[in-house]
Amino acid sequence: MLKTTLAGLRAHKLRLLLTSLAITLGVGFIAGTFVLTDTIEVGFRQKFTADAAKISVAVKPKDNPEAQEAPTIPADALERIRKVPGVADAQGLLQGPTPLLGRDGKAAGNIPTTAISVPTGTLNRVIVTSGDFPARPTDAILDENTAKTRRFAIGDTITVLDTKGARNDFTLVGLFDTGVNQNLAYTGAVGFTTDTAQRMTGAKGFGEVDVAGAEGSDPARLRDAVAAAIGADYEVKTGSQLADELAAQSNVETSYLTLMLLLFGLIAMFVAALVIYNTFNILVAQRTREMALLRCIGATRAQIFGSILLESVVVAILSSGLGLLLGLGLGAGAMAGLDLLDAPVPSGAAISLTPRTIILAVVIGLVVTVGAALLPARAATRVAPIAALRSQVEEQTFKAGLVRTILATLFLLAGTGVTIAGITMDGGGGDALIVIMAGGALFFLGVLILSPVIMRPLASFVGWLPRRLFGVPGSLAVDNARRNPKRAATTTLALTIGVTLMTLISVITATTRATINAQLDAQFPVDYMISEQRGPDSRIPRALAAALRQSPEVGSVIQMQRAEAQLEGSGTEKFQVGNFPASPDFRPQATTGSFDGFVPGTVALVDGTARSLGRKVGDTIQLKTEQAGTVTLKIAATFDRDSSDLAPITIPQAEFDRYFGALDDAAVYVNAKDGVAPDVARRAVEAIAQPYPTALVVSSTEIRSEFEDALDMMLMIFGGLLGLAILISVLGIANTLSLSVHERTHESALLRALGLTRPQLRRMLSVEALLLGLIGALIGITLGVVFGWSAMQTLPFDILFRAPADLILLFLVLSGLAGVLAALLPARRASRASIVDALAST
Amino acid sequence: MIRRAARPSVAAMTITTDVRHAVVAKGLTKIYGQGDAAVHALRGVDVSFATGAFTAIMGPSGSGKSTLMHCLAGLDTVTEGSVTVGDTEITRLSDKQLTLLRRERVGFVFQAFNLLPTLTAEQNIRLPLEIAGRQADQVLFDRVIDTVGLRDRLSHKPSELSGGQQQRVAVARALISKPQVIFADEPTGNLDSRSGTEVLAFLRHSVRELGQTIVMVTHDPGAASYADRVIFLRDGLMVSELIEPTPQTVLDTLLKLEA
Repeated sequence: MLKTTLAGLRAHKLRLLLTSLAITLGVGFIAGTFVLTDTIEVGFRQKFTADAAKISVAVKPKDNPEAQEAPTIPADALERIRKVPGVADAQGLLQGPTPLLGRDGKAAGNIPTTAISVPTGTLNRVIVTSGDFPARPTDAILDENTAKTRRFAIGDTITVLDTKGARNDFTLVGLFDTGVNQNLAYTGAVGFTTDTAQRMTGAKGFGEVDVAGAEGSDPARLRDAVAAAIGADYEVKTGSQLADELAAQSNVETSYLTLMLLLFGLIAMFVAALVIYNTFNILVAQRTREMALLRCIGATRAQIFGSILLESVVVAILSSGLGLLLGLGLGAGAMAGLDLLDAPVPSGAAISLTPRTIILAVVIGLVVTVGAALLPARAATRVAPIAALRSQVEEQTFKAGLVRTILATLFLLAGTGVTIAGITMDGGGGDALIVIMAGGALFFLGVLILSPVIMRPLASFVGWLPRRLFGVPGSLAVDNARRNPKRAATTTLALTIGVTLMTLISVITATTRATINAQLDAQFPVDYMISEQRGPDSRIPRALAAALRQSPEVGSVIQMQRAEAQLEGSGTEKFQVGNFPASPDFRPQATTGSFDGFVPGTVALVDGTARSLGRKVGDTIQLKTEQAGTVTLKIAATFDRDSSDLAPITIPQAEFDRYFGALDDAAVYVNAKDGVAPDVARRAVEAIAQPYPTALVVSSTEIRSEFEDALDMMLMIFGGLLGLAILISVLGIANTLSLSVHERTHESALLRALGLTRPQLRRMLSVEALLLGLIGALIGITLGVVFGWSAMQTLPFDILFRAPADLILLFLVLSGLAGVLAALLPARRASRASIVDALAST
Repeated sequence: MIRRAARPSVAAMTITTDVRHAVVAKGLTKIYGQGDAAVHALRGVDVSFATGAFTAIMGPSGSGKSTLMHCLAGLDTVTEGSVTVGDTEITRLSDKQLTLLRRERVGFVFQAFNLLPTLTAEQNIRLPLEIAGRQADQVLFDRVIDTVGLRDRLSHKPSELSGGQQQRVAVARALISKPQVIFADEPTGNLDSRSGTEVLAFLRHSVRELGQTIVMVTHDPGAASYADRVIFLRDGLMVSELIEPTPQTVLDTLLKLEA
């Protein structure tokens, strides 16, 4: 029996390979995920271990959640550490935001550059790639990427703002590599001597002190000695402990990446399982006579079952092996790609193939393949020996069984119920989304079970046009698509999964885009926003707004101010208080109450704050102000947090100044005068903002495009990752079609004998594949739109639902094309077959 | 224009020297494979098939009778020689032209796998016309349907028809496009004797009543006796023929050939 199976496999190498390919791709993706993340983790570990080798002991302040500012290690503690016997050297490390000015005189980037201290001697961990370390107080080094994008070269003078906003000029003496530090890679970094860094950042102490032991000293003993010298407020670790800790932290980050990639890997594997199930089902159906012959000459049912399973095991092992190789390639390719993109991941580590990866790849490949082959194998055992003697294979007929109908109904009802529960869940948010996802999964299973029943009507529906468009080949194709609904269903549903998810994502992004854009339009009708690069705690001098009002290009200026204050009866909790700018262009919407009656003595609250305080419109709150004591304010309106830029507690402008003094602006919104060209207005606004280097001018179009770029990026990443599942399902269509073509050799020959030309035969098969693709896409699009809508209902604000017709149409067209593409080879083979041979073979 | 056989074979001349021919083959040679493995299926066959006649091709297994039929019908290429269907020399036609020839001028009845399982009997019958984009001649259609006695079975799928009924549908399909010649390859091979007799009677009927030309390959002397003429092949050569055969004369000839 074993020999028969293996001989059969050898005889059909191509079929074996095609079948394996689906699993190979899935396993390859999963293995590739592990190879990539393992390699990254090994790289991090190597980097941290190398760094830690320079350090005997590291000291960090203990986390204090109560403290206002992050705790630091004061200079005198450093002095005490230096005096501990056995300490050869101790260096304090610190960092903080110091905006680097670009060549245009404005702060570079949207976030301030981070200043870091560069210690001297053996404890230094900064890798200078060209030039020198900073040695004099006027020396600075830049990270390579910032230097490149801001066009600074060694020898240039760079200007950096200190913590008070004053300009400091430095000579750029070297460039360094931020390595695996994602924060520094994101903000950009400038390195100073420790003293200069302290002066620039205004830091009161150090974030970390690194200690080098004297030669031959024991790190553990040194750690205890240092700990004893500085007291209990600090965490003291050996270098290797520090390395372990950093590696563990980075592993947590890598594990998110692993999880996300694995999710897509599992989707791909599910699709592959459908493809395998279908393939084995068809193979069994086609080999009915072979099975019957084996049964005739004495093979037991168990042996038949075993032979099919054995075949699946061979396929599984082959494809898992190939998948591992593919995974290695994918992992290595992804690493090379990350390197090329200068991503903050460690490069240079050898590609890591762990036993875990190998075992997982083989186990997943085996379980999915053999699991998918179980049902077909059982079907094979039901072949009666007498079937060997029948000359013509019975046409399979399909009737919707009662069990199928009941089961499908149950799943569909459960899916609908759970989804509705998710939509109507109180508060919405993440939990509701998970409930809806579960509902979607249940519903999809229902569709999966029901699909053979709906396949025929769908094929007739979708086939209406091809029937009329493609003449005889068209109608024959529609008939063929309808003839085996079970097979057609499994084939198309594999594609449906990919299309559903793609549609879902595109609906979500389109809806988010439309909703946010509408909110921006309605609540935030400004052309430019000026904000502080150094963050919400920094202020823009009011002079800027005043200067803007003088500009002939500027129509209106809105100033937003912020202060913190406590409420009577709410303990020590501090609330953000903001002004309500008086401007006709500013018209936020109230959830309850109205801004029309917003006069001195009244207040507007964000919905959440009103709820947590247990107040509603008409009630009062007592605000403790800095200059006017505690004042009682009547609530005039509540509003949605996301609908405007207002502070949680908003009071009229005049009162804000009276209560908190004339504070500088937190943000300034500018509208160009009507009729002024956008580029003219922009130049005018920027010229006025030029004296304030950290005042960032952003246009609402820029905000929008930044935000749309992010959405597009998400759509592309998801599309790319789902592409694998879609590719596998297209393979499935090709596989099903080529097996069907093989099955219908006689029919094709008959049609050719009756006068069907080769192109017509090819067209017939292409149209059949086109139909399969379109049906799969139609189901997927329907599910995607419905569940995309459901998912968006969990958002806590009103949405503008959008199903992007262009993208959805594109999915439909691409699915049809994918089907036609899948039909290319099978159709070619069918049309090339000799009529005489095809008629003669049985 | 119907072309006359310019140089009728010796065998054909024994029937008549001046008859219109639906199919003429000259020096037909078919070799499969090459070198030592070469199989000479046909070794120079000259044969003509008169229009409006029912001719049977017989011969022992491996005599080349199926190959001859495939070559005559343009299903297979020939190594040497020529085949003329009507006035068209077909051995030099492209695949496309051959397909059109089959579509317009040739009908087929096979032993098995004759019908498309997805189509009803009527759809199967009309299929060649549909493929050719032609309208069925409703008078002819009705006449054919009534002759084969399938009127009450028209909406049935092949799986709902008996073997004999399926074969009658196949014959009806071959007739409906009024081809110059119908090739039937062992049309009764898969049928019980009663159904077989029905189909044969029907084939002969269509020759007599509709003037159809039919060439049938068979190994059954009884089936061959329905034909007007039987030609015998052995080892790729035409070796004998019978006019107005009976089962007994066919059997005798076969026995002589085997001897």
